[in-house]
Amino acid sequence: MRTRASSMAAVSLLSVLAVCSAGAATKQAAPDYRQLKYPELKKIEIPEVTRVTLSNGMRLLLLEDHELPLIHLSARIRTGSIYEPAEKVGLADITGEVMRTGGTPTMTGDEMDEALEAMAASVETGIGTDYGWASLSVLKEDIDKTLGILADVLMHPAFPPQKIELAKIQHRSAIARRNDEPDEIASREFAKLIYGAASVYARHTEYATIAAVTRDDLVAFHQRFYGPNLMMAAIWGDFETQAMVQRIEKAFEGWTKVEQSVPPPPKVEYNYIRTVNVVPRSDLNQSNILLGHIGGLRSDPDYFALVVMNQILGGGFTGRLFKNVRSRQGLAYSVFGAYGTEYAYPGTFNLGCQTKSESTVQAIQAIVEEVEKIRRDEVADEELALAKESFLNSFVFNFDTEGEIVGRLLTYEYYGYPADFLFETRAQVEKVTKADVLRVAKEHLHPDKVQILVVGNPDEFDQPLSTLGEVKTIDITIP
Amino acid sequence: MADRVVRRVSLAAALWTVLAAPALIAQDLAEFEKNLTAFTLDNGLKFLVLERHEAPVVTCFTHVDVGAVDEVKGITGIAHIFEHMAFKGTTTIGTKDYEAEAKVLARMDEVFAALKAQRYRSNKADPNRVAELRQQFEELQQQAQKFLVHDEFEEELKREGGTNLNAGTSYDYTVYFVNLPSNKLELWMLMESERFRDPVLREFYMEKDVVMEERRLRTETQPVGRLLEDFLSVAYKAHPYGQPVIGYMSDLQAISRPQAQAFFREYYVPRNMTIALVGDVDPDRVKEPARRYFGRLADRPSPPPVVTVEPPQDGERCVTVEDPAQPFVLVGYHKPGINHPDDAVFDAITDIMGMGRTSRLYETLVKEKRIAVAASGFQGMPGVKYPGLFLFYAVPARSHTSEENLEAIYAQIERLKNEPVSREELEKARTRARAGLIRQLDSNEGLAEQLTFFEALTGDWRNLFKQLDRIDAVTAEDIQRVARTYFTTTNRTVGTIKTAATEKEP
Repeated sequence: MRTRASSMAAVSLLSVLAVCSAGAATKQAAPDYRQLKYPELKKIEIPEVTRVTLSNGMRLLLLEDHELPLIHLSARIRTGSIYEPAEKVGLADITGEVMRTGGTPTMTGDEMDEALEAMAASVETGIGTDYGWASLSVLKEDIDKTLGILADVLMHPAFPPQKIELAKIQHRSAIARRNDEPDEIASREFAKLIYGAASVYARHTEYATIAAVTRDDLVAFHQRFYGPNLMMAAIWGDFETQAMVQRIEKAFEGWTKVEQSVPPPPKVEYNYIRTVNVVPRSDLNQSNILLGHIGGLRSDPDYFALVVMNQILGGGFTGRLFKNVRSRQGLAYSVFGAYGTEYAYPGTFNLGCQTKSESTVQAIQAIVEEVEKIRRDEVADEELALAKESFLNSFVFNFDTEGEIVGRLLTYEYYGYPADFLFETRAQVEKVTKADVLRVAKEHLHPDKVQILVVGNPDEFDQPLSTLGEVKTIDITIP
Repeated sequence: MADRVVRRVSLAAALWTVLAAPALIAQDLAEFEKNLTAFTLDNGLKFLVLERHEAPVVTCFTHVDVGAVDEVKGITGIAHIFEHMAFKGTTTIGTKDYEAEAKVLARMDEVFAALKAQRYRSNKADPNRVAELRQQFEELQQQAQKFLVHDEFEEELKREGGTNLNAGTSYDYTVYFVNLPSNKLELWMLMESERFRDPVLREFYMEKDVVMEERRLRTETQPVGRLLEDFLSVAYKAHPYGQPVIGYMSDLQAISRPQAQAFFREYYVPRNMTIALVGDVDPDRVKEPARRYFGRLADRPSPPPVVTVEPPQDGERCVTVEDPAQPFVLVGYHKPGINHPDDAVFDAITDIMGMGRTSRLYETLVKEKRIAVAASGFQGMPGVKYPGLFLFYAVPARSHTSEENLEAIYAQIERLKNEPVSREELEKARTRARAGLIRQLDSNEGLAEQLTFFEALTGDWRNLFKQLDRIDAVTAEDIQRVARTYFTTTNRTVGTIKTAATEKEP
């Protein structure tokens, strides 16, 4: 080994001498990155976004980008599955899907598929937890036709019964398949542990809730939430702003406002308790582990210190969890953990990994230990520096595409966050101290009161789960 | 060396000229080339530098022409293990005292070899000796940890603003990439050249545990993952495309550090690497540091090609995985590699059969018959360097069977053989190939990946654009001929998940 290595170095040296005319060095030492001097980074030019509110109340964010002859649109509509009745879970999703697949009275969904795919364009719609969305991507010359389809779909969806049935088949098949992959079981059941099985943030479809959804429900859901005053859109690409505003105004002409206001997302009541839960699966040789408790909101003043804490605890290849659970103990390929925050309702503090059955309890303990450590002792100077420097040095990547810039502003606008929230985050992250990290860790993390969930084969665990507390078995049989 | 005069033409404009044209003509490509500087170091390492000055960032992408296809039984998974090890540092990065560390690492290799000798002695293993060796190995592992500067390689790139730092291993190649603020390019030059000049495979035996978890995660606990592994092993009886990229569990356990070092020496030679730098870079300023850093990599002979050729198939092959999971259907036909003239015909077939809501499989299986929730067909698996497969798949809808879906897929294949595709379908395939390319190329990462892929696998990055011409030239007769030639029963492998226990349904 050693002789081989030195002969390699000699060959390498020769090749260096061969290509460098200034090859006077006698022995090439390995270069040291600490000696590098970097040039100043070019100033990031942040383009100006135009904000317009149309007479019908629709808000627009426009950004011209003439690099490629493409136009993109991304819209948010004030709705969400949080507004569907408990006995009809799936209604919002089916509405969002069939709006597009079902087409309108003047153009069927299948005709839209043909027209759009022939132009290599796309128009899509959907509804998420606390928002509805629509998107468009098209070559510049086809904008009028495509924008017309988008507006038609949002204003006049036909909801034909056969496309509703097709969407229901997809849902029923997804229910039948929902226990096929262990990670899907884990994330679904964990959400129910944290928010409660009946919570709008955790509940899911069943055959019965899909069967209960009718076409009338879709029509009513659409009427209730789809109007210009409840929609905002970001548009970027190769266009002229004034002309684009007029195009959009014209495309959505005659769309009436929704008068009834939309209530804010429901609050979450959370009791910190320790629970141990298992979904027994004798066919698995690896455990899927998730543990944690409720998380928080981005509007919390502690958010910035939590961003730094998350970096140190679970940030990619360099976080403590990756280092200690993966690299130093070889317990998992994927290990993660973060105090999760959402814009409008609390996220979850969740940590986890997948590990062989025989190291299940060891891995849980190793993860909990990392949480205890970060709320017991101040983080090291180097850890704080790495977390902050990497955040600040990679800040430029928030601005490398037009879509990212205007899409972020759309998100802030939708959730009522200040337009400069990202810059505020940077300013605040720069100020975070070790004491701040310790303070927010102590305040927000409760390792003694985490809910633990394992999807795996208890017969092969290293220790019984009961060493962690009283074990509850979760039945995932599909009703 | 193929240095080019650089003229600052907007890349976007050049791209558009290339892509908007109804057919690619030489001048358009020339326009694009002005933004691309290619040069080769004396040791054979090739650079493709593409200027794109929209934002002060750069994607650094290394494509190494080695993958799981270069493995033999006994060391399956070793290409991927090395990829993991390439983040562990060098003799100067990641260690407090390499001299002392090297002694402990060498000692660990010896103990591992002794353990292996015991383990594979069938019934003659001496349990006392095994226990003693295990003890020694544990102690050495702990000693070795003391020398670590934890994760120095990753930390330094991340500290300086690196994002999306990662790597990937496939059958045909291994790639390493990171995005950096463009003023940090020299840091990447240093780190990247050092890890391939002077890697130290520290924490090797621990990292194997991580890889075994990856195998459990991606294959053993995933019904479709297990089906795919079995499917390929049946479709290929001789060629290494039949072995899993992740490796067999018993091979992962047995692979030693010296074996991984030998694999590295054989395949990680500069002639076998292509690097793309895409973004805010000035090619004139790249060449000097590229030579200074990467010129240090020793020129060594190109690695050997894979000599095993998959023998022609004599009849249909079938494989079943029994699992509580819902059914799943895979159908594969052997087909030639990427440099065969029929490659573009398979691209057109992919579009017509498998892409989007208007594709034939989606329209018939999902929309009309409602027997599937997803159905498609595509080429590229398991690899493209050597003859691969054209794969069809279907995800049966609830209470519909694999058999129904197979039958419906076969009916569409027969239709492809028996009647010419329509002019509209061909036209749509051409339009979407163009638009697909333009959207894909709207990112530094996408460009870097595609340029190195075409350069390494077809010998010329220009084929990224020329493939559009080839798709344009595909005729309805070509499609019929290719379908009849390759989509035959004897050339077919079928894989299904058979649901072991049925669940209650209302």
